[in-house]
Amino acid sequence: MASTEAEATEHRRGDTRAGAGGPRYPGWLALPAVTWYLLFFLVPLGFIAVTSFGEVVGFSDVAYTWTLDNYRYLWDDFFGDFHLYRDIYFETFKLSVIGTLSTLVIGFPLAYYIARYAKHKTLLLLLVIVPFWTSFLIRAYAWLIILDPEFPVFRALGISGFVESHELLFTPKAVYIGVAYNYLPLMVLPLYAALERIDWSLVEAAQDLGDPPWRAFRRITLPLALPGVLAGSLLVFIPLTGEYIIPVILGGNKTFYAGNLIAQQFLESRDWPLGSALAMVVIGALTIALLVYARALGRQEQHS
Amino acid sequence: MTGRRLLGGYAVLAYVFLYAPIAVVVVFAFNGGRDVLYWQGFSTKWFETALRTPEITNALKLSILIALGNAIVACVLGTMLALALPRMRPWIRTPIDALAYMTLVTPEIVFAIAALVFFVQAGNRLGIDSPLGWHTILIAHVVFNASVVALVVRARFVSMGQQLEEASFDLGAGPLSTFRQVTLPRLAPAILAGGLLAFTFSFDDFITSFFVTGTESETLPIYIWGQLRFGVTPAINATAAMMLAFTLVVVVVAYLVLRRSGQERDGATLPGV
Amino acid sequence: MSDEITIWEQPVSRRGFVAGATAAALAAAGLGRLGGDAFAATGAANAGGTLFYYNWAQYVNPKTYAAFEKATGIKVKKGFYDSNETLHAKLKGGARGYDLVCPTGYMTKVLIAEKRLQALDWSQLKNVTKNVDPKFHNTADDPKSTYSVVKDWGTTGFMYRTDKIKERPTSWKEFVALTKKYSKTVMVDSSPEVVGSIATMLGYSYNTDNQEELDEVKKVLLDLKPHIVALHSSNYDTLIAKGKAWMGLGWNGDGLALAAKVPAQYVVAKEGGEIWIDYYNIPEGASNPDAAHAWIDFVYQPKINGLETSYTYYGSPLKRSLLKGTAAGKLLTDKVVFPPAATVKKLETNQVTAKGTRLRERIWTEFKAS
Repeated sequence: MASTEAEATEHRRGDTRAGAGGPRYPGWLALPAVTWYLLFFLVPLGFIAVTSFGEVVGFSDVAYTWTLDNYRYLWDDFFGDFHLYRDIYFETFKLSVIGTLSTLVIGFPLAYYIARYAKHKTLLLLLVIVPFWTSFLIRAYAWLIILDPEFPVFRALGISGFVESHELLFTPKAVYIGVAYNYLPLMVLPLYAALERIDWSLVEAAQDLGDPPWRAFRRITLPLALPGVLAGSLLVFIPLTGEYIIPVILGGNKTFYAGNLIAQQFLESRDWPLGSALAMVVIGALTIALLVYARALGRQEQHS
Repeated sequence: MTGRRLLGGYAVLAYVFLYAPIAVVVVFAFNGGRDVLYWQGFSTKWFETALRTPEITNALKLSILIALGNAIVACVLGTMLALALPRMRPWIRTPIDALAYMTLVTPEIVFAIAALVFFVQAGNRLGIDSPLGWHTILIAHVVFNASVVALVVRARFVSMGQQLEEASFDLGAGPLSTFRQVTLPRLAPAILAGGLLAFTFSFDDFITSFFVTGTESETLPIYIWGQLRFGVTPAINATAAMMLAFTLVVVVVAYLVLRRSGQERDGATLPGV
Repeated sequence: MSDEITIWEQPVSRRGFVAGATAAALAAAGLGRLGGDAFAATGAANAGGTLFYYNWAQYVNPKTYAAFEKATGIKVKKGFYDSNETLHAKLKGGARGYDLVCPTGYMTKVLIAEKRLQALDWSQLKNVTKNVDPKFHNTADDPKSTYSVVKDWGTTGFMYRTDKIKERPTSWKEFVALTKKYSKTVMVDSSPEVVGSIATMLGYSYNTDNQEELDEVKKVLLDLKPHIVALHSSNYDTLIAKGKAWMGLGWNGDGLALAAKVPAQYVVAKEGGEIWIDYYNIPEGASNPDAAHAWIDFVYQPKINGLETSYTYYGSPLKRSLLKGTAAGKLLTDKVVFPPAATVKKLETNQVTAKGTRLRERIWTEFKAS
């Protein structure tokens, strides 16, 4: 088990070059998770993939004719003059980006505070999550009340008119607030996990040596926090692309996102093949994007 | 130091933001009237109603149990995956990565329906009459949550460097004792974070649960959704308030217990690690 | 030709929970008077066992459950779905064990075509045979009533706050004009209702699947979009009650519930609209179909049906004369719950084809995405 000297010098801190020699956790540890995925995810997904090559017959039946029609239909939409689905995907992307950025902006200072200054870190962290153990539907409806100009607090403060003029309810603004709220812990937790292990004495030392706080932040804190930022961003961005309940409840159900679109194919239109094709496109696109991110992460891992 | 105070003030605001809707829910759980927007006197009757409604108490119990089971399984699977992945060769690692990511990016409605079809078909072939139930919900939840845990744990595992692990292996320790003595203590916050996320996702999940549940199992979100289309009834607010009180108590107790057993890791990180 | 079949996907709201609250008093009074023994056991083969009733939430008077359990000894387990579509997706996916479901007419048609329903045993449905209004028997959705018994029926039109707008619209044209004027309209989140209603406004059939006609409908809708406050099938009427909207396209039961709370009026539009029906169906794979039959037959007793109608505010399928003296007696003259024949003649039932459904959904997508 002893590594050679040559290998030893290769083992820099954070060296995770794939296949790098030297002792590590055995690969078979991945087996249980992979088996689970294969059986309970890939097989069902295979069903969806196969259905995407089918045709809808009658009310909702599927004829497995191995046709590319559904994909052709989507292709024509995306690149054609009448790009309904493309617009919907774009709006979804916009929502996801704004949601991710807003949770990052709101969540980073909070995670930072807990990781660096707080006395009862775990407790504070848990307090971030506890609200999310009430049903998310209830929280969304609670926001309906808060954003309502008739909200008792507003009435008591006499600012109902002011709130009304800003028209929050059933507007995209309400959706963004709801999204930022509901996805906050998904950003805070990974951020915290990354920030928590930072040695703050290094930061303080840098400041003692004359660095202004922001430079210490940029040079020391930020790079170490980056994996957390990326993990958090992923955890927010990805589910956001499928989000459709918050726009329904807080946005007055007047907007249509990818999640609505796909659900509509399976439920109201009962066109499972088209819905499957739409889903495969989303899954494919996002998986590729994630793999790109993963390679970037891998390269970053090597350079840290 | 003003930075610290500013941040502290900001943290307070952030918590106000987090708890504002909760406060609304709790306050209106005590509302004597049915309309959630108008206060009609203080009353605890909705709590009684909620507790006396078997659909609510059963749904709550089921949701908690499934979420807990799912969190445990997801943590085990996800952590193992996170440990194994970083140093795998790319040709194995990339497909597994892709698979894990796909579980996260698949639109929930799609997975829900696909899983339903799968369970029913599998049940047919295995001769099981009613294959759907709380177990199918748990299985489906783990698919997603194992990836969540893996993501969070891996981010931490990768950034904390593996010198200590390598040293441990070099010294002849097997994976299990290395994990127990070297990795786990350092990974614990990430595993905890991942587990909490997994619990939360499962507890709050609606779409997947709705489709793969059997006739006997109704989780709390499914119950609430069935009622919610009419608006939030005060009994539902009362249920949420009770759930909140319960979790707050659990959290505080767990925190105190953990602290007493000396596992509090506030600021205690080793330099360079 | 009988007037049946319904449409729509998220009926939840028309079950009128507020109606339920106000009607609960009626129900309590009614039931108290009758006492449990008045409900004869309905000859169910199963004295005991469980009925799994998969239904819309708050679509059954709570007292009815208790009365049923007492009379037959069958326990009722309840599960809830929120739309015909999710019910369909579950049944299509293979879920089993549901004994009784209540799809809307168009969904019943789909389920029959897909062979997901069990044939009924009419020997267990003597009350139904005796009491049903012939208009609601052998409907277009199920011409031989092989699989279905009508649960209730209603209309689709619009409602408005009489205290907020001074006009008194009676047609879709006026509804559309006022929507543009006030920008305070809500609609049910359901393409068949909205598309179909606008189609009648343009003089077309509610069920048209003609591309040109539908394109015209789409133009009207896209024009209207900026003036819509929200699209919700379940709480659009609550929004009107709270004043967040002043007009709404929706169902008669909700309209009546609304009028009970605030000054409002429900109208069946002059150009036409929809008349819909909800059915009792027994899915394939039911564990206790006898219990399901028992329930259907039980609910077809006039007194029980009266209770149901007074709770949901939707039309009863029984012969009207039988309902006199029941809890629904007062509603018999209510033109909203029981519209007169002249009104009903203008209405069509949902007979949209599969192709028409997809065209409508496509319009709906554009409408919502705009």
